[in-house]
Amino acid sequence: MAAVWRAKVPPNSANLEEARKRVFDFFKLACRSLPKVMDIYNLDDVATISQLRSTIASQLRKNAHIKDPKVIDMLIFKGMEELENIVEHSKQRHHMIGQYVVGHHGLVQEMGTKEQGLSPFLKNFYKSNYL
Amino acid sequence: MGLGSLTSRAMIRRASTILNTTRSHNFSLVRSIVSTPELKNTASAAAEATPDPPLPPPRPPVNNARVHFPNPEDAIEVFVDGYSVKVPKGFTVLQACEVAGVDIPRFCYHSRLSIAGNCRMCLVEVEKSPKPVASCAMPALPGMKIKTDTPIAKKAREGVMEFLLMNHPLDCPICDQGGECDLQDQSMAFGSDRGRFTEMKRSVVDKNLGPLVKTVMTRCIQCTRCVRFASEVAGVEDLGILGRGSGEEIGTYVEQLMTSELSGNVIDICPVGALTSKPFAFKARNWELKGTESIDVTDAVGSNIRIDSRGPEVMRITPRLNEDVNEEWISDKTRFCYDGLKRQRLNDPMIRGSDGRFKAVSWRDALDVIAEVMHKVKPEEIVGVAGKLSDAESMMALKDFLNKMGSNNIWCEGNGGQPQADLRSGYLLNTGIADLETADVFLLIGTQPRVEAAMVNARIRKAVRSNHAKVGYIGPATDLNYDYEHLGTGPQTLQEIAEGTHSFFSAIKNAKNPAIVVGAGLFEREDKDAILSIVETIAKSANVIRPDWNGLNVLLLNAAQAASLDLGLVPESDKSIESAKFLYLMGADDVNMDKVPSDAFVVYQGHHGDQGVYRANVILPASAFSEKEGTYANTEGRAQQTVPAVPTVGDARDDWKIIRALSETAGVNLPYDSLIDVRERIRTVAPNLLSMDEREPATFSTLIKPEIKKEINPVPFKPSIENFYMTDSITRASKIMAQCSSQLLKK
Repeated sequence: MAAVWRAKVPPNSANLEEARKRVFDFFKLACRSLPKVMDIYNLDDVATISQLRSTIASQLRKNAHIKDPKVIDMLIFKGMEELENIVEHSKQRHHMIGQYVVGHHGLVQEMGTKEQGLSPFLKNFYKSNYL
Repeated sequence: MGLGSLTSRAMIRRASTILNTTRSHNFSLVRSIVSTPELKNTASAAAEATPDPPLPPPRPPVNNARVHFPNPEDAIEVFVDGYSVKVPKGFTVLQACEVAGVDIPRFCYHSRLSIAGNCRMCLVEVEKSPKPVASCAMPALPGMKIKTDTPIAKKAREGVMEFLLMNHPLDCPICDQGGECDLQDQSMAFGSDRGRFTEMKRSVVDKNLGPLVKTVMTRCIQCTRCVRFASEVAGVEDLGILGRGSGEEIGTYVEQLMTSELSGNVIDICPVGALTSKPFAFKARNWELKGTESIDVTDAVGSNIRIDSRGPEVMRITPRLNEDVNEEWISDKTRFCYDGLKRQRLNDPMIRGSDGRFKAVSWRDALDVIAEVMHKVKPEEIVGVAGKLSDAESMMALKDFLNKMGSNNIWCEGNGGQPQADLRSGYLLNTGIADLETADVFLLIGTQPRVEAAMVNARIRKAVRSNHAKVGYIGPATDLNYDYEHLGTGPQTLQEIAEGTHSFFSAIKNAKNPAIVVGAGLFEREDKDAILSIVETIAKSANVIRPDWNGLNVLLLNAAQAASLDLGLVPESDKSIESAKFLYLMGADDVNMDKVPSDAFVVYQGHHGDQGVYRANVILPASAFSEKEGTYANTEGRAQQTVPAVPTVGDARDDWKIIRALSETAGVNLPYDSLIDVRERIRTVAPNLLSMDEREPATFSTLIKPEIKKEINPVPFKPSIENFYMTDSITRASKIMAQCSSQLLKK
């Protein structure tokens, strides 16, 4: 909570250009803190800085379709919050591994070649009974 | 209600209260416990009497019950709280009140049992009657004016409640009935806020009724519902009343267990916590449970049940009302098999290694191995067997899959070598379970309904009790819980009846509604066609099949049987298993594994590590009936559905999905991806399986079948079920069922 109290909400971006600039600033800030993150969470044996950087980039690209500066501001605010939590060591190692190293696909990564040619039914069948 | 009578009553009341007040000065220490102030307060009673309050609109009947008038001219009119209702002659006051939408509190009255009238909780006021009357035992008379919420009725209930609670222990916090207890609810609604009893409460020794019913007899309020249930519905004279007055106790007269197959129902009908479920004791509270309305698969009746679960665990199974199938009872096997769902479960696909041990593998690997083996064997050497508990969807998928692989050797266990699936009437209980009640002569051929289908047996017993139906039985010596005539043990007796030389033939011939019930155990006999044709001869000559009454029945044994025959799971040859190189067991555990060649590849798909697993090369874990949505047809041809109550165990999948996935791995894609698609496919084969909860009777009677002349084998009929409590993989894995078989089957 402390981070939330401290955070000063910057004024809204006037236009899309300004919001866009803020996104890049946020990305750079995140990338600059990566060495410290690697250090405090001891991630050297599971990930590299470039992997984490591309994870951040892909998370940003997930919202590439958003054009409303207000929404972008809000997302940057949330991202900043998350970044602060990480840098302040408010998280634990397994949070980092779970969210940014392994990702949402789970530990078992299917090799692309085997999956090819399977129907969606069979893909879901291999994953779970409830898909 | 005339205004004059009300005022005059108020006057009398005022006079008596004046008398009371003058006296009560001396006894000012006496606490008044009456919580109905209008009884004491003359001013309020008088004030109430003068302005006639507008009546609320009439209420619909309790539970939206509909009244059936057998004779329209026998209707009588009674007034309940000022409203007139029409009820048939012979209704009790309590039933008339229910029709008027007034639920009368009761403990001893139960609509399916005889009337005892001993709890006195249902007292109501009837105009011109000097005392409140017990509404459950009083017949409604024309023009009767019944008042259910007058001060007198309220005070009567309060008094009864005080007497009942006098000797009832205050252990609701540790009582399993807590939360669903009639006494608890009614003492909240009708009881007083304090009692005057200061002496010691009585205590009663608990009785041992066996592994299913736990007794805490101190809690008993002597409503005698359990005694009446045991002697009337279950047909065992095990329970009774001992002693009189405050020494009255319910118990078995001598030290013995309750040996009925319906004993679990006393748990439901007990209004207090005197009889509770022993396996469920202290396991959960009823408000923590999630109820799922499903159906039972342990026999062919398809009893309607509610599966109560907490998280991923089935905590108990209770009956659900269905007048056409199980009324409101279920058998003990249905009720207590649920602990088998937690034991011996298969949770991972497994392949047997070269050392003979199973090794867990991924679904992909398991399916790949099976598909590879299937392509190596000849199509006619592929054999599929559906198990007792299979649902229609998975049987449809299995049949389609094996047909696409080129094999037509698929059957469902219990149907014998060459089942007759051409005419539905040849394998259904054509009369219908509910209509068996109206039969007046039964001929049971090679069937022991008490162990094969306990709910059907309860119907036959009902017919024996109410219509004095005559029961003839051909088969090994057995214990049915009604009087029956043991005609013989084998097909020879049947032949005598068919020839008309046996005395029972005239009984069938002269009966109004004769019912012949053939056991499905005969399907396993070599000479079953000959026996069935003799039975048809009897049916024809005794006029058992008429346009308005079809009395020729087959009583099936397993939940999957009717649907499998509807879907046409009939093998090409009955010797296919001896020449099988690839055997697909879909939950089939009772296949004779000695006949399977040693080099055959056996796949077992199922939810329990039961008999089929011992010989299997690959195990595919599937979901049990409590975890999947599946269609089952019961022995009378009624399609019903199970509903998933809990998640599947481990890495298990639904049966039809496994076969659909395997078909894709094997390169013969089945054209359905969802349950809806499978049902569309079923629609083309057996559309009756899609009309849910409705009984689809057979269209043609068996009599159009050409007659078969075959020699019968004089070997006597064998009992088709040896152990009532353990018949399938779920019940065989159940600890409770094992206890029952060791304690209750002891002879």
